[in-house]
Amino acid sequence: MPKAVQYRANSIIYFKGDQSERVFLLNAGKISLSYVDIESGQEMRDLIKTGEFFGVKSALGHYIREETAVVLQDSTVMVFSVPEFEQLASKNTRIITKMLKVFSNQLRRIHKQVQTLLVSDEQVNPETGLYKIGEYYMKNKRYAQALHAYKRYLVYYPSGAFATDVTAKIASAEEFLSRYGAGEGPAPVMSAAPAATAAAAGLAPSVAAAPPPAAAGGETSDLAQQYYNAVSLVSQEKYMEAFKAFKKIIDGGADAEYSTKAEFEMAKCLFYLKQFDSCIKSFTAIVQKFPKHPEMKDALYFVARSYGEKGDTAKAAGLFKKILTMGTEDDPVIRKVKKALRALEGGGKA
Amino acid sequence: MSPAAGPDLSMFNRFMVTFRKGDIIFCEYEPGDTFYLLQAGHVQIVRIIGDLEKNIDVLNPGEVFGEMAILEEAPRSATTIALDEVKALEFNRENFEVLMMGNPQIAMRLLKLFIKRIYDQKRRFMILTLEDVEAKVADVFLMLAENQTMDTSAGESIEFKTSVEDMSHWAGIPAGQCREVLNHFVAQRRIELHPDKIVVRNINDFARFVGSRRKHQEK
Repeated sequence: MPKAVQYRANSIIYFKGDQSERVFLLNAGKISLSYVDIESGQEMRDLIKTGEFFGVKSALGHYIREETAVVLQDSTVMVFSVPEFEQLASKNTRIITKMLKVFSNQLRRIHKQVQTLLVSDEQVNPETGLYKIGEYYMKNKRYAQALHAYKRYLVYYPSGAFATDVTAKIASAEEFLSRYGAGEGPAPVMSAAPAATAAAAGLAPSVAAAPPPAAAGGETSDLAQQYYNAVSLVSQEKYMEAFKAFKKIIDGGADAEYSTKAEFEMAKCLFYLKQFDSCIKSFTAIVQKFPKHPEMKDALYFVARSYGEKGDTAKAAGLFKKILTMGTEDDPVIRKVKKALRALEGGGKA
Repeated sequence: MSPAAGPDLSMFNRFMVTFRKGDIIFCEYEPGDTFYLLQAGHVQIVRIIGDLEKNIDVLNPGEVFGEMAILEEAPRSATTIALDEVKALEFNRENFEVLMMGNPQIAMRLLKLFIKRIYDQKRRFMILTLEDVEAKVADVFLMLAENQTMDTSAGESIEFKTSVEDMSHWAGIPAGQCREVLNHFVAQRRIELHPDKIVVRNINDFARFVGSRRKHQEK
């Protein structure tokens, strides 16, 4: 049975480095968790809200405590063993789904932090990466796997840099698979320089007529294909083409999810196309239509940057400061905003 | 076929997908919007590193994969291949909550998986923030030792089934640079480099080395 325990102000429930299999729930009082932020090395302090669990990750994962739990005011805490906690959570899955959301956010954050630290050759752009997987399996005569990777490539990048090459490889892989079988056959001729295929791709109308991929485990809808294709144009900095591709998705009467996403991306393209007035107008419309847009901060960021580009630094600074109130230090948008704000203020003084 | 272990998921049969032996379930780098609960068969997780297909893990029935798609449509971080006939339940973000609500055991398993992922990523972050290249490589050995949950207190030599490419991946440095560091460690008689394994003579020596570098950096 979980038991209620009273803690006096200034006492410590557990120390960083402790190993324990106890999960806690704050019933009443005030408790903070202090820890060192792995990115900045700064001492951080999070307040626990009443009704909130703490010590869950280390207890469930059998890791040492990463933070020290300090009692700030006299508090009542429910103490659970791991089995007791699991029993409670299994009767109330909301507890778990809520935690899953919190942990998934933490995971997303740390994942991004890791990515920023990786040297550039560890970071392959997804388009080239997918192509290279096909190449690897083709080279090793594993035609079925090569076919899968190549076909997925065409789903997402039907007019990508390697599309012509991939279309030809699909034909060879199919032929080799039926004629020789996996692991057999002549050494496949591997790719020409990607630059050459990239140039050829622009001239290859046949690419769009590539065979539909046999999507294993879930068809990707045409709409998703179109959308990813447009997103890939953005990553290639082909903003005009991307803008048109997104517009086509909306004009085609896409469902709400994709037309909303496409609308957002179009507004972003406008910024990169230096159509600052149109960009402001588009994002303002989006924000008005979706006052709780999940990417509100990003939308405002582009509006602020547009004002900045137009020379209206006061408006830009005002908006940047507003965004700062909407998130915390660990949010990449917030860091971007801080940087932009510094640039703006630095520029003002110069 | 009923799952080998765990809760009754027969009401989710409409989410069942089947793969034949050798089928790729998803490819590294393709956008991910689904995740899977393996019900029958085995799934191999691989990454193509350089010119090698690296086995990351083999999953058994009852395990979850592709779960990062619950977070966002980020590119897949590995390729998954069916080792035999595979049956799996395929979910996306929309039907995920329904699944969780009715299946606390799965929800709990996923929670623990996320916890492990968070720790793994944090651990990797710690390696990458080391400035000294030798310390990075040494810290990769420490991480591998932690994952093997071995008793390192005796200070005896430990064998790692790892390669230069693997080590360079974890340390976030080019393979050539990683090989140089490892050769230097060999010259110092701290490790032995074999084709299929690396033997660390004294892991505590590396622990002290990394610890002192980290402290030095904090100053």
